[in-house]
Amino acid sequence: MKRSAAEIVREYGPFPGVEAVHGVTYDGTHVWFASGDRLNAVDPDSGKIARSIDVAAHAGTAFDGRHLFQIAEDRIQKIDAATGKVLSTIPAPGGGGDSGLAWAEGSLWVGQYRERKIHQVDPETGKVLRTIESKRFVTGVTWVDGELWHGTWEGEDSDIRRIDPETGTVLEQLDLPAGTMVSGLESDGGDRLFCGGGDRGNVRAVRRPRRG
Amino acid sequence: MESLITAAARALEAGDPLGALNRVALRNDAPSLALRGIAMAQLGDLAKAKTLLRSAARAFGPREAVARARCVVAEAEIALVSRDLGWPAKTLAAARATLEKHGDLANAAHAGHIEARRLLLLGRLDEADRALAELASAPLPPASQVVRELIVAGIAIRRLRTTDARAALGRAAQAARLANIPALLAEVDSANLVLDTPAARLITRGSEHPLLLGEVERLATSTALVVDTFHHALRRQGRIVSLGTRPVLFALARLLAQAWPADVSREALIAGAFRARHADESHRARLRVEIGRLRAELTTLAEISATKQGFVLSPRKTRDVLVLARPVEEKHADVLAFLSDGEPWSSSALALALGMSPRTVQRALDELARSNKVQSFGHGRARRWMTPPVPGFPTGLLLPGPLLKT
Repeated sequence: MKRSAAEIVREYGPFPGVEAVHGVTYDGTHVWFASGDRLNAVDPDSGKIARSIDVAAHAGTAFDGRHLFQIAEDRIQKIDAATGKVLSTIPAPGGGGDSGLAWAEGSLWVGQYRERKIHQVDPETGKVLRTIESKRFVTGVTWVDGELWHGTWEGEDSDIRRIDPETGTVLEQLDLPAGTMVSGLESDGGDRLFCGGGDRGNVRAVRRPRRG
Repeated sequence: MESLITAAARALEAGDPLGALNRVALRNDAPSLALRGIAMAQLGDLAKAKTLLRSAARAFGPREAVARARCVVAEAEIALVSRDLGWPAKTLAAARATLEKHGDLANAAHAGHIEARRLLLLGRLDEADRALAELASAPLPPASQVVRELIVAGIAIRRLRTTDARAALGRAAQAARLANIPALLAEVDSANLVLDTPAARLITRGSEHPLLLGEVERLATSTALVVDTFHHALRRQGRIVSLGTRPVLFALARLLAQAWPADVSREALIAGAFRARHADESHRARLRVEIGRLRAELTTLAEISATKQGFVLSPRKTRDVLVLARPVEEKHADVLAFLSDGEPWSSSALALALGMSPRTVQRALDELARSNKVQSFGHGRARRWMTPPVPGFPTGLLLPGPLLKT
């Protein structure tokens, strides 16, 4: 297992009226983050909030190319990114103990915080297809280049780790500075990972290490 | 962060404890227990709240030291509001240290404020002052500033420093408007009321009038001989004769001072000081002895001379004699003074605060209850006393800041 300090490239926020960041995703242009009662789209260049959607947003956020998925209470809402309308909802697999959310390979991936699990879920029905066990409280989840990354946050310690999607074994770990929280994780498809800063109300861009 | 926990925490923050309970009522994980505890505290079920917070503190893992410390602070605040003053201060201090170490300065300050409020209630003003000074440097959120200034004002009022008290209450009001919490504004208002309500009565030359706290304070610099019924002492500027342990001598001194410059008959002195209806020869003999003792105590402040019918007081080095008395004098006024803060008190906490034996306090409470001046609820050790009517029960329950966000 490779372990190193996370390299924080940039910090966004804190943003006015945002007390905490609960989930993060990226739509190719904007970084979206959930702040309780709305979803906010941040321009990653200017660092400003470009747009927001009023919708219950208590935990993880994901994007499938057209729709935003957002956990609220014990369900996952499917939201039309263009209009902001909630199109449908499915039950969340953790029954409200859910935290991170990612979209990959036609499935939703949901982190269940205190249970230290990641569930693969059918986005139409909410059916749990399989479950990966982690060693730590799971916050954000993301897939990039066939790699499964998730954020952890247990007590005072947070890190971002790449795990084997079959066995749950930790392959790589990026430690965040003490007292820093990770709530929500999303890759930009390149070498940046966006992570929510919990009740600091900010979003950080962390460099994803290159292999080779 | 967990979805339902976030939703429930937001409901709590928005002042919707039932909404929060709805979301976590059936869950028994640590954050849910903590949330339910706070919701129950806000709903006024302090006993249930205490149990839940204690279970939550146990359920948080060893790595979740901050979450656990916040539960301890919340439990301490519930103990304070329940007037459970015997609550272990060490546990609170340890929780405060943990919060400080992990950079949660706002909640660390909250913990310090709870300790300072406890000391203030116990009348340990210097210690309360020190507890506040230890927290002085960090910038606090407005709600914490209000609490801090209320404690500063409380200490100043107890020390009869009305200018300081008013300044602190001014700052408290400003911070309360910033925090925009109506309960806090109301608390500041009721503290202000203390300064604008007569705190004492001045009796001199047979007449009397009410005094505000500020006027009582100015009296401290008066050159008159002051008979202070609050402290059971006689004083003239820096010179003080305390008669706290000699109630008969103090009663005689007071009777003489109230009549001054006239004299007081032997019958009146005997009736007033010995609580005897008919004066016989043995009472007269005792009076002579007691007056002799009083004379010895007061040599530097006043002289007592016999007149045809009784005795007269003549103050030394001043032309004025004042009696400072409580606004309404009744039995057990000291017990009532504590209960008038509108909070439920246990008789043991009252005993601790008044420095009396629990048995004496219990007798006073029973007597006051018979005349409907106090009421109690609960049974056994959980029994609490308060004065009717009760403004907004429980007041002062602010609870630690973001208890549940992590």
